[in-house]
Amino acid sequence: MPVQCTMDLHFCYQFLVLLLLIIEVKGSQVICYADFITAMLIRAIGQRLQVADIQSLKLLGAGQFLKISENFQSGDVAALVYLWNPLTIITCLGCSTSPLENLMIVLSLYGACMRLVPLAAFGWVIASHLSLYPVILVIPLVLLIGCGLDTPPQKLFLQQTHGDDHKETSESLNPRIFSWRRAVLFFLWATAWAFYVLVLCGLSLKEYSGLGEMFKRTYGFILSVEDLSPNIGVLWYFFAEVFDFFRDFFLIVFHINILFMVLPLAVRLHHRPCFLAFVYIAISSVLKSYPSVGDSALYLGLLGLFVNALADMQFSFFLFSGYLGTLLLSPVMHNLWIWRGTGNANFYFATAMAYACFQIILVVESVSSMLKHDRALKQDTTTVAKKLQ
Amino acid sequence: MDSPAESEIPKPKQRPIIRIGSSSPMISDQDVSRASRFIDELNSLYLESRSSGIEIPRLIALHMANLGGEVSYHKFQSQPNKFHPLHFFTSPNAETNRGNETCESYATNTVGIIRASRGDGKESIVLVTPYNSVNLSQNEALSLGIAYAAFSLLAQVTWLAKDIIWLAADSQYGQYNSVASWLRDYHTPSFDGFGKVDAANCHGSNGIQESNLDMSIETEVSDTFRRAGTMAAALVIKVASTSEDGNQDALNIYAEASNGQMPNLDLINVVSYLAVHGQGLQVKMEKLVSLIDSKWLKFIGEVFESVGKIARSLNPQLKFGISVKDYVEGSATLVSSLYNQALGVPTGSHGAFRDYQVDAVTMEISPKITFNSLGRQTEFLFQGGRLIEGIVRSVNNLLEKFHQSFFLYLLTSSNKFISVGVYMIAFLLLVAPLPVVAASLFSDAIKSDEDKATSSDSNSYKSWRWLYPAKTIFLIHLWGAIVSLLPYFIYKIPDSQPTSNILIWASLSIFILTVLHLFFGPHTCHLQEWALLKSVTVSAAFIGLCLMSVINFATAEIGALLLVPMCLVVKPWRAARKVHSALSLVLVVLGFPGVAFFVLKAAFGVQNGSGLAEFWYWLESLWAWNSATYIYLCMVHLPCWVLCIYILLHPC
Repeated sequence: MPVQCTMDLHFCYQFLVLLLLIIEVKGSQVICYADFITAMLIRAIGQRLQVADIQSLKLLGAGQFLKISENFQSGDVAALVYLWNPLTIITCLGCSTSPLENLMIVLSLYGACMRLVPLAAFGWVIASHLSLYPVILVIPLVLLIGCGLDTPPQKLFLQQTHGDDHKETSESLNPRIFSWRRAVLFFLWATAWAFYVLVLCGLSLKEYSGLGEMFKRTYGFILSVEDLSPNIGVLWYFFAEVFDFFRDFFLIVFHINILFMVLPLAVRLHHRPCFLAFVYIAISSVLKSYPSVGDSALYLGLLGLFVNALADMQFSFFLFSGYLGTLLLSPVMHNLWIWRGTGNANFYFATAMAYACFQIILVVESVSSMLKHDRALKQDTTTVAKKLQ
Repeated sequence: MDSPAESEIPKPKQRPIIRIGSSSPMISDQDVSRASRFIDELNSLYLESRSSGIEIPRLIALHMANLGGEVSYHKFQSQPNKFHPLHFFTSPNAETNRGNETCESYATNTVGIIRASRGDGKESIVLVTPYNSVNLSQNEALSLGIAYAAFSLLAQVTWLAKDIIWLAADSQYGQYNSVASWLRDYHTPSFDGFGKVDAANCHGSNGIQESNLDMSIETEVSDTFRRAGTMAAALVIKVASTSEDGNQDALNIYAEASNGQMPNLDLINVVSYLAVHGQGLQVKMEKLVSLIDSKWLKFIGEVFESVGKIARSLNPQLKFGISVKDYVEGSATLVSSLYNQALGVPTGSHGAFRDYQVDAVTMEISPKITFNSLGRQTEFLFQGGRLIEGIVRSVNNLLEKFHQSFFLYLLTSSNKFISVGVYMIAFLLLVAPLPVVAASLFSDAIKSDEDKATSSDSNSYKSWRWLYPAKTIFLIHLWGAIVSLLPYFIYKIPDSQPTSNILIWASLSIFILTVLHLFFGPHTCHLQEWALLKSVTVSAAFIGLCLMSVINFATAEIGALLLVPMCLVVKPWRAARKVHSALSLVLVVLGFPGVAFFVLKAAFGVQNGSGLAEFWYWLESLWAWNSATYIYLCMVHLPCWVLCIYILLHPC
């Protein structure tokens, strides 16, 4: 069975290379390569995550879950999901720049997983420079660098050591010590990279009225939602409708909305920083001011990393149908509104709203099934510990 | 479907800017007598020189110029039918490639423009008169005459705020083609002069300059493409031969454009209101004749009538009663309207305008008797001229476009319609069982799985098990996409007959299906697998139908009538009872597009041609007109049908 699996994978990769060659003829090469590198990095992250997962499960002695998490090579699954996702292919064909942003985000995650502090800082700085929203990824990145990859909750290990404290020393079973040295190193590197990027930008923009103008035109443009041309998000419609004197208030509300979720999620999921990063990316791609399908492609790919933990996710079929339906319907509605003139903006906005709802359901479902997975682990280990006693 | 919930429009809405038909018509004897002379000249010219199609455009141009219009010729080639199934999503400008063809295939439209005295030249109204320059009929001459009378009046009036364009469209290569190519050139300004050079090469053989009719206006008529502003509305004027049941002149309105798009309802209201109340014409819509005599429809109508009577006797406020005649005629019109929309083929040259978001209708006036006297002809010209004047005046006075929300409707007569809010309810009730059935099958399959999983304790990923049926369904839909592209290759076969074409098509499709089945055959047969498969199939059908209902409602409605019962009933024949499997067999047979086509034809008593060739021609017309119905048939209906057969034969 594993042999056949790897054969299949090789076949898929070869096919993909062919596909890339075909796309290259038309689209921009850089973006294709960026997508491919992103997929490779996701694969590396997945392998790393799986090794860590199996290790910690062995430590806990949860045999049943061990079998489950060896079921799929989650890195391969995630990379294939990312590459074969129609959204990725559409983004690639449309020569959008979002694959470059995605590459930088994944690069920083990869650097953090491999504990390459300079690389992680570089990816984070560039990604935030490109699209601002990855700034919130600083929490999962610092957690990854500080205390390592995703593990089951801390309590379980303590329980385990408590259960048979006479056998082993507690150090070997308790790998989660936050390393402040690395975290400080990360921030130092990030400052250095940010300084470097700003100096470069300042030099190249000297003739065009400097850095202040750049901040206004890039971050200011993102934060103040000036461009109201229709996209798959919901903000354009809202800000086209809202009264001018409420505009500032609602701008603050919508941006704080993202920040509000950051801290509670960080507290609840601090033991799984990679999953936390996935949740942040998904939330920001729903609520960002100019969302695109490229963002959805990234978080759907990252979802594949947790395929073993999310095996019991509910509503998967419902979500799949919903995504398919809204993604097919939205170009038709756009056509009806813009080209045929028989519809109006509400038609298109309805699909955008449905899409946002499905995305939110996806986030909620994945978080709750991850928590359920943790709970099941806890039950399993306590029963094992009781049996041992 | 034939819900009696037709909303009646009591009167055209009285808006401050438009008050239909309030002004007295200004068309005078002079205009009409000029038009009569023009018709006589056309007829005599046609009788003199039947040979080439050049003199008539020249004569029309001369008369246009004499009335004070700016005149230009527009030469175009006939466009061969191409196979581009995804045309629906591309803008019409996307295909401006011109093939190098011989000069003989050029035809000439004559375009006259009156500049508005009170306008800024940013908007215009289009009058179209299709005529065949090689074989001019009496009716076409009359329609040119009506347009001439109106044009003559409009050249003098002072109230004009929008430019008037009169397009005398040369329809020797089809009425639609001439208008469509003019519109394409109108909306795509060419700066390199490529098209002009192409046309100028042909002057020698076409000989417009060499014609010795009247050289005096040659300086005014130019080959440069003249434009007015954006089009507010367009009227296609035609004259039909005498009406069948006539003690009254009749006016037929055709409105369906490509893919079931309709013009703004306000335009139809204006035309029908002015025709009925201004000119005393009898306004008719196209209707399915065979339904008018059908007994069962009459029976239903009687039931509705008696129910209405009883309701009114109970409470005089309730007025939903409808007479039998109205009901039957409304149903016949509705079925015809639904069929025309579902087909996605425009019912006339007005369809070309809809691609550029211009509202347009075809008005076909059919006089009650033949024109044997001059007086009768003059009266007819008066009538037509007044009607057009009224419509132009109404559209002229609009400050913006018609109200934007009346594009989605079905007509049951010229002054009754079913709005989108009403017919969507019927459609949604029809498809609502699909997601319910999908959900119940899915949860049952998962639950029965769970029961087993507790015993064997190996089966995780149970909520992802739908991925296997989803793979099958994806493959079948991929097959559907391949099938929809096959005709492109079949056209490459030289000298092929329709019947053999369709047989080749069918056999190739079946071959590809077998190959797909062999390569990606079903994995280990699971006991409950068919339930999951059916669940995924049903949800795919649901998504497809909902998608199609947005693109072309009528197609989705008819498709849902066939698809929904089939998807709901079908069950593996080993698991089902005999009656059940017989029922699903009948539904599956009926659900095949070809069978449904012939059965519906037989049921409505429409008979032209026979056999497979007819079906091929029908399909050919679908893709010649870039109908989305074709894509629906191949990518939603056919895959679902195959999947239903697959479920029916499932060895569970």
